[in-house]
Amino acid sequence: MPLQLDFGALVEDQRVHRRIYTDAEVFEAEMERIFERTWVFVGHESEVAASGDYKTVSIGTQPAIMTRDEDGGIHVLMNRCMHRGATICQEQRGNSSFFRCWYHGWTYTNRGELVGVPYPGGYGRGFERRKFSLKRAKVGVYRGLVFASLNPEVPEITEHLARARYYIDLFMDLSPEGEVDARSGTHKYGYDGNWKFQMENGVDGYHPNFVHQSFFEIQGKKLGRKVMKLFTEASSYQSKDLGNGHSILDMAPQRKSHRPVNNILRGSTSDASTKIYIERLVRRYGEERTSEILGASNVNLAVFPNLLIIGIQFRNVIPINVNRTDVYLTPTTLKGVPDEINTARLRAHEAFYGSAGGGAPDDVEMFNRCTTGLRVKGAEWLELSRGIEREHTADDGSIAAHISDELPQRAFYRQWRRMMCEKFAEASESRPQSVAALD
Amino acid sequence: MATLSRQQAEEILYEEARILDSRRYDEWFAMLTEDVIYWVPCNGEGTDPDREISLVYDDHARLRDRLDRLNSGLAHAQNPPSKTCRLVSNVQVEQTSTDSAAVTSAFILYELRQTRQRIFAGRYQHRFRYQDGRWKIQWKKTLLVNNDEVIDNLTFIV
Ligand code: FES
Ligand SMILES: [Fe+2]
Repeated sequence: MPLQLDFGALVEDQRVHRRIYTDAEVFEAEMERIFERTWVFVGHESEVAASGDYKTVSIGTQPAIMTRDEDGGIHVLMNRCMHRGATICQEQRGNSSFFRCWYHGWTYTNRGELVGVPYPGGYGRGFERRKFSLKRAKVGVYRGLVFASLNPEVPEITEHLARARYYIDLFMDLSPEGEVDARSGTHKYGYDGNWKFQMENGVDGYHPNFVHQSFFEIQGKKLGRKVMKLFTEASSYQSKDLGNGHSILDMAPQRKSHRPVNNILRGSTSDASTKIYIERLVRRYGEERTSEILGASNVNLAVFPNLLIIGIQFRNVIPINVNRTDVYLTPTTLKGVPDEINTARLRAHEAFYGSAGGGAPDDVEMFNRCTTGLRVKGAEWLELSRGIEREHTADDGSIAAHISDELPQRAFYRQWRRMMCEKFAEASESRPQSVAALD
Repeated sequence: MATLSRQQAEEILYEEARILDSRRYDEWFAMLTEDVIYWVPCNGEGTDPDREISLVYDDHARLRDRLDRLNSGLAHAQNPPSKTCRLVSNVQVEQTSTDSAAVTSAFILYELRQTRQRIFAGRYQHRFRYQDGRWKIQWKKTLLVNNDEVIDNLTFIV
């Protein structure tokens, strides 16, 4: 076996090596050391609202099924028949209490127990069905967000989320009922490049004025505002390190008028429904909290390793291989608001996001350009030092810098390095002795 | 004034296809009524755009923004632009009166951008209105076969 890469040496405090994006060995290690060790975002509770609902998901590159059982419990089961390995569920979503593997007919409940084995007489007396339950992930739910972990020792989800919880709360509290609904469909796009490009970009406050100039200029003209000012040196917006690799572009400080939807994206609502909406918020949360909630209604939040909460959407970054990434954008609607508000949210989202949007495809184009550019050898490093000298401790105790600084990327890669270099015992069950001896 | 014949419908659809394939967006815009809706559903048939996300759900003003952006030279995902060639077929006039008509058709769209070739296919649904001496597009729904799958870049007009 070739000498293993020293992953720690690929990520320094202010720069990262191109091999973290291009090397298949790094990708394989990321799947084991990050995606199999921490909490991975898989969806939202409302996507499996009724008992029997299910949705197929991924944990890194591994196929899984998020299910809702008859008692309301949520499970994440690996989509792999315990007989000889076929996937047991082929649909993207549906409703069923049982999953039958159609290779030889083994049947499982939506909790993962094996309940049916055809012609059981063929199995010996030592054969026990209960030993063949589907492999399952640990499930952590926070404010409706569903995370899965293949690591039985993983810290509690609330501990993992660290300061990101405060911003997730704000996002959910935009609903006067404190709940969002994620059943308005999903935008799906992808690119032939590494997954980390998308994670970096979701909290990159340096790029908008260049990548999105065409969008901002047109919207700015309509609104009579200079949208691009928000991302210049004059901006009072901040970037923040929220711990454990999570980060945010915090656009609350400069916001003057509090609008229920992000006006930059042209989600316009009538005064009447805006009034009803704000009254309901105030009734539930009081004046002060309402203004805090609306002030934070335009977020770019990254939750390590694969979730971005941007605008109205949950963005699930799905690594396929070192050079391929799929991205699922699930917009949310708010419970307890006039319909018009939710329609405006959807239209605002569409204007910028999705494969045909006026913004996101231009980001993706940059990931493609980086992927091609990084084929150049001899120029080995990517610079992430921007703003390192203006990092400071913010009022809430987090490390903050200017919105256009590369603080979020540095936060991401600190966690990346921590996890990639962590010593952990090989799970003995998944690695039989004979195989370990071979490599 | 007569109703819309299939031959007339075909001529309009062929003309639209040729204009879009040559990216003459302003000419395309001139084919539309001011209350136009241009709809590309996502995740299936598209039942209620007010409650579900679409790939595109544009009125006249939003469409103008979209085309202005494409014309700006700074829409990076179209720099260089997609070269397309679409075949429109199976044209059926479903309903027609002297001032309105509903037409469905099928299409196959070949796309080349840089070195990458892709094929899209689906159905078009058009509603036309007779206005200013000609048939204009008042509603267009593009139902892509793959609209519930991953689509990397759909920034040209389908
Ligand atoms: S592989 Fe599933 S029943 Fe045989
Ligand atoms: Fe962007």
